[in-house]
Amino acid sequence: MTPFDPVALPGSNNPDMTDHVSGIALRANAFGWWRIATVLPAALTSGLIGSILYLFFAGVGIWGIDWPVAWGFAIINYVWWIAIASGGTFISALFFLTRSEWRNSINRIAESMTLFGAACAGIYPILHLGRPWFFYWLFPYPNTMDLWPQFRSPLLWDFFAILTYVTSSVMFWYLGLLPDLATLRDRAPTRGKQVVYGVMALGFRGTSSQWRHYRVLYGVLAAIMAPLVCSVHSIVGLDFAGAATVGWHSTMYPPFFIFGAFLSGFATVLLLIIPMRRLLRLERYITGRHLDVMGRLLLTSSLFVGYAYIMDAFNTYYGGEKAEITMFQEKLFGYYAGIYWATVLFNVLLPQLLWFAAIRLNELVVALVSIGVIVGMWCERFTIVVVSLHRPRLPSAYGLYHATIWDWLTMLGTVGFFVFGILLVVRLIPVISMFEMREILAPRRP
Amino acid sequence: MNGQWRGLDRLSRDPAFVARASAEFPQLAAALAAPRNRRGVLKLMAAGLALAGLGGCDDGAPGGVLIPPVLPPTDTVSAGSHLFATASVGGGYANGILVRHVNGRPIKVEGNPAHPASLGGTSAIGQAEVLGFYDPDRSRGLTRDGEPQAWSSLLTALAAQRQAMGQSHGEGFRILTGSTTSPTLARQIIALKQLYPGVRWHRWEPVSRDAVRAGAILAYGQPVELVPKLDAVDLLLTIDSDLFDGAPGHLRFARDFAARRNPTRTDRMNRAYAIEPTPTLMGVAADHRFIAGPRDLARIIPALAAWLLGGEPSADMPAWFAPLVGDMKATRGRCFVHAGPDQPAGVHALVHAMNEALGGRGQTYDLIAPVEADPVNHGASLRSLIDDMTAGRVTTLVIIDSNPVFTAPGFGDALTRVAVSMTLADGSSETAAKTQWSLPARHGFEDWSDALAYDGTVTLLQPQARPLYDGISPHSLLALFAAPEEVYSRDVVRQTHGLNDQQWHDALAAGLVAGTQAAPTDVALKPIQAPVGGAMAAPAQQDITLLVRPDPHIWDGRYANNAWLQELPRPLTKLTWDNPLLVSPAIAERLKLLNGDRVTVANGATEVTLAAWIMPGQAPECVVALLGFGRTDVGMVGQGVGYDVYPLTAGSGPVLLHKAGGRDVLASTERHDPIFADAGEYVHHGTLAAFKADPAFLGKPASQPQEYNRRPTGPAAWGMSIDLNACIGCNACVVACMAENNIPVVGKQQVIHEREMHWLRIDRYYEGSPEAPDMFFQPVMCQHCERAPCEIVCPVGATVHDEEGLNVMVYNRCVGTRFCSNNCPYKVRRFNYYAFAAEERRPAVARNPEVTVRARGVMEKCTFCLQRIAAARIDADSDNRPVGANEVQTACQAACPTQAFTFGNMAEGGQVVERKKSPLTYALLGDQDTRPRVTYEGRIRNASSGAGA
Repeated sequence: MTPFDPVALPGSNNPDMTDHVSGIALRANAFGWWRIATVLPAALTSGLIGSILYLFFAGVGIWGIDWPVAWGFAIINYVWWIAIASGGTFISALFFLTRSEWRNSINRIAESMTLFGAACAGIYPILHLGRPWFFYWLFPYPNTMDLWPQFRSPLLWDFFAILTYVTSSVMFWYLGLLPDLATLRDRAPTRGKQVVYGVMALGFRGTSSQWRHYRVLYGVLAAIMAPLVCSVHSIVGLDFAGAATVGWHSTMYPPFFIFGAFLSGFATVLLLIIPMRRLLRLERYITGRHLDVMGRLLLTSSLFVGYAYIMDAFNTYYGGEKAEITMFQEKLFGYYAGIYWATVLFNVLLPQLLWFAAIRLNELVVALVSIGVIVGMWCERFTIVVVSLHRPRLPSAYGLYHATIWDWLTMLGTVGFFVFGILLVVRLIPVISMFEMREILAPRRP
Repeated sequence: MNGQWRGLDRLSRDPAFVARASAEFPQLAAALAAPRNRRGVLKLMAAGLALAGLGGCDDGAPGGVLIPPVLPPTDTVSAGSHLFATASVGGGYANGILVRHVNGRPIKVEGNPAHPASLGGTSAIGQAEVLGFYDPDRSRGLTRDGEPQAWSSLLTALAAQRQAMGQSHGEGFRILTGSTTSPTLARQIIALKQLYPGVRWHRWEPVSRDAVRAGAILAYGQPVELVPKLDAVDLLLTIDSDLFDGAPGHLRFARDFAARRNPTRTDRMNRAYAIEPTPTLMGVAADHRFIAGPRDLARIIPALAAWLLGGEPSADMPAWFAPLVGDMKATRGRCFVHAGPDQPAGVHALVHAMNEALGGRGQTYDLIAPVEADPVNHGASLRSLIDDMTAGRVTTLVIIDSNPVFTAPGFGDALTRVAVSMTLADGSSETAAKTQWSLPARHGFEDWSDALAYDGTVTLLQPQARPLYDGISPHSLLALFAAPEEVYSRDVVRQTHGLNDQQWHDALAAGLVAGTQAAPTDVALKPIQAPVGGAMAAPAQQDITLLVRPDPHIWDGRYANNAWLQELPRPLTKLTWDNPLLVSPAIAERLKLLNGDRVTVANGATEVTLAAWIMPGQAPECVVALLGFGRTDVGMVGQGVGYDVYPLTAGSGPVLLHKAGGRDVLASTERHDPIFADAGEYVHHGTLAAFKADPAFLGKPASQPQEYNRRPTGPAAWGMSIDLNACIGCNACVVACMAENNIPVVGKQQVIHEREMHWLRIDRYYEGSPEAPDMFFQPVMCQHCERAPCEIVCPVGATVHDEEGLNVMVYNRCVGTRFCSNNCPYKVRRFNYYAFAAEERRPAVARNPEVTVRARGVMEKCTFCLQRIAAARIDADSDNRPVGANEVQTACQAACPTQAFTFGNMAEGGQVVERKKSPLTYALLGDQDTRPRVTYEGRIRNASSGAGA
């Protein structure tokens, strides 16, 4: 592998690629490794369902949240997942608009990651509520009480942002899938698969007028999605910045959250494509070029995030507000200091390895750096939510936060659900966008 | 037993009754016709109704109109509430209270402004009594040897007892009570003694005032009661004093003291010095607090007395000693010295001598005849009883309102030698479980009785409801030992005081018999004798000194089953549900202790292992054990909570302390590193000298006018001012708030989990070194910000501003995002993480029906007692007038013994507007520009120029 590999290795062509990729989805029996790999995620997903049922039965008191730290894992995980999701959209939509060819091999997996990341994120705000059965009160629907939601609240903006983002992510993912579903329909070996893929393909037959409409719609959606990533993350940032709370009240938050979203999104994509290209024999289509580009993007976003951390410290001390400084000192040297320094280590220091091309192409190191970044981003959210809240303005309200088993079960449950979803994608739909690959590969076998 | 009390509530809706009442009590009709001061009317109505209702009693048959506590009769009108006077009795002494009834149920304790011991204030314990009344763990029936019995079997047994006593002339018959001032009880026991000359009456109060009594005898040759008049005191010197948290009359003392603490309202600000081994409320309130352990006190107090009496300067005294004496001499005649009950008799004698020498008698204090009935030395009285029991000289023992098996080590063993033993108590207790008979007593809210206030004022207790559970009055029980006829406690009490109908009615209405305060005696001080000095022998030289004190809320253990008091953060440690050993910072450092570490403390042969808690400001050699916890037989709330330290009271010998293994998690509601250099940021404070130089030195300038000013425009503008000079941190307001607003108790685990629900908390700040910090209290509740940060972040608009300036919480609309709590700079919002209210063991009837009970998943907070505002609004609307400035009193304000809170409609002027004009006024976290409707008046210390720190 070299950074100068082409997007697909020489000798690749459309028929081989289509055979290979659709063959994975249309296999009669799943891979052995697939069967083993699904066990743990399926178990964790069951744990998620169980802990949600118990949560609804017993109330949010089962979590570790308390009087000063009224937000905990639910919000941390929500922000963490939505950031992971955003990275996928960024790759598939923004780099579509810039016509970056390397994106075609990995946009399907990036979008699938968005889909399941957003699904994991989307359940948390509802679980988080004290009375989750009234979550729809956030929606401005006409009602006999003549009540509207409170439009000044960042949480309301957040509700709309998430709703928009989840909806459009699903649409974007599904639209991008249509031509490939049609391919699967045409190649399906059994009647059952023909019907299922046929229904899912919505009658896409590849006529020139269908392609013309398709390309226009896809372009429009991409043009919507790319800025939407930024807006949804700005609004997640405003959930915090819109409050007058110590540690949150900062104009830096919206861009800071976008940086974080890119960082965790790129890391997750890397973490997914590295094993996938091996396991599914996709080395031909996911090459050194991809690893190199993604490594550079990861490094760049890490530098952005590092800048944000520095500005966070600068603003705190330059601003000179006592409560902010007290909280910041606590962040650096207090009870949760380990988590802050882990954030710095994983998000800023560790990715600096990627300055070296050799390391960018070392799949093991890159995977480890990616895991580090994903953990680091979670630590960052923990610091923002918990550490800020545990040192409020009045000393009498100082407190601590400790997660309970239910916090962990819910969090690991969403991890399991995410992995389970990705595995389903691998099993059932083409993991590489075949119709987009066809635009850059040789049309025939040599 | 049924004819005791009438259904006043129903009668008040009966036109014929109202006509009769108006004819009998014209002032009631006049008041109803006049422009109303709501509180005044309620008082009058309470009075009038009580009288008229009882008037109706005379021609009604027993079993007439009674309001059952649970299901009211169908024609009961549910609107409105009524107040009935009674008293809360602590250590035998009465504090007058009024009980608020809604739908005929007692739901809230208020102060009785007419009562001299409180002037309308209440204590935390008094406020919590209503929860004790509804306690489902109260005894429900009588048992003999643990088996349930019918009342008839008791009557049979008593008949046999009467016969036996007749033959033996009462030889071997003993009565044990706590400290009592009840003239009726005393009269009955004296009558019993006349009937059976061998009867003996023993007294045992675990929180002993024996030293006070003995000191008075040393000084005057006879027991006398000290009645301080703190409103006339310019300089107060307290020695390990309980003036604000346990002494008889402590509510009155706090009021009188606080009335002269705010220099914007008095030009005669008093000055207080406190010398004490461990911080007390008095020490926190004092201008100068000097730390001295028992050994130092044994040296300092005689030297102080010697210098004041004889004028000989003594060497080897602390630096503050000479300026203190100078200050005292300069205020001769307006200076008063008070010593706490834990000081030995010799100190009390010297204090009496000093007070006489300072010329304050008649000015700063009076001496009256003892208020306690037949005062005896409790320790000696109990010891003689135990000796007699052990020797088999006791055949029958009747224990009334006392729990010696728990509080007196050794009593339980002696009890096994008594043939017939009987406990009369209103809940299960260790003693009731060990005596042959266990009789359920009526709760104080179910029975007629009487008690004396600290100044001797006769105070009447009248029932507030028909008994919830089967029980018997001590007065009825004692009468049954004399004669088989059942007597009503009302009749016995009334006989004692010999009041005619009119006087009786007036006394019930006011809660006291007017003009019965004791006259000062003219007993003369005996010359100081040598034994006084001898009594002051210094305690043995040892590394550790053990002090045993009552818990401020559970007291000697009798309130251990009261969940409000258990979960009430102790004033200084802010601990709930526990009584760790309070160790000084020096000891903690020496033994390398952290809060919660287990230690073993040994007093001679007995030892107890318990958790430790570091107490800043405690004398270096002292550890303090708190009584009342570790009850083994009390009910589901108090069972097994904390550690029983009574065994330590029996030990004598060297006190040893060493670290034991393990650590307990203690439930304190203050979780921060306790010592601050700059508590002044939150509690603005300064000295009187600085105030005189620039009165506005603490107050912040009013914020600039803003472009976007959304000042509420309603007809009323509610506001509150809290005077930090008056707040003594006693917690009465916190319990009052819980009672008024149906605030649930969450239990120890949830407090550890930082989920306590108190709408009103009292923040405690330390400033300075841990060895001798300055201490400050600050009550904090919802500040009702005009620019409230909570309101703009709620996505569903569940917390909004009303036009009268209230920040209102719409429980039904709340979905529980908790964003409001995150965004509240004062952190006054509380969230129902679980269904705390539904899980409470408190019966639903005990709740205030005017206040919503909050469900799981809903945010809640202080409402400024919106239900009281609404009631006043209705009154005002029906009269077509605005709500008066001082017409509404919040629960915290009404309960406060020192009137630290002022609340009112600022649109109509009134007291709160006046107080907010004070130059000391500031807003908490004023830099947040939230424009709170609650403001504080900074605390001023009247520091002496010479006395140092």
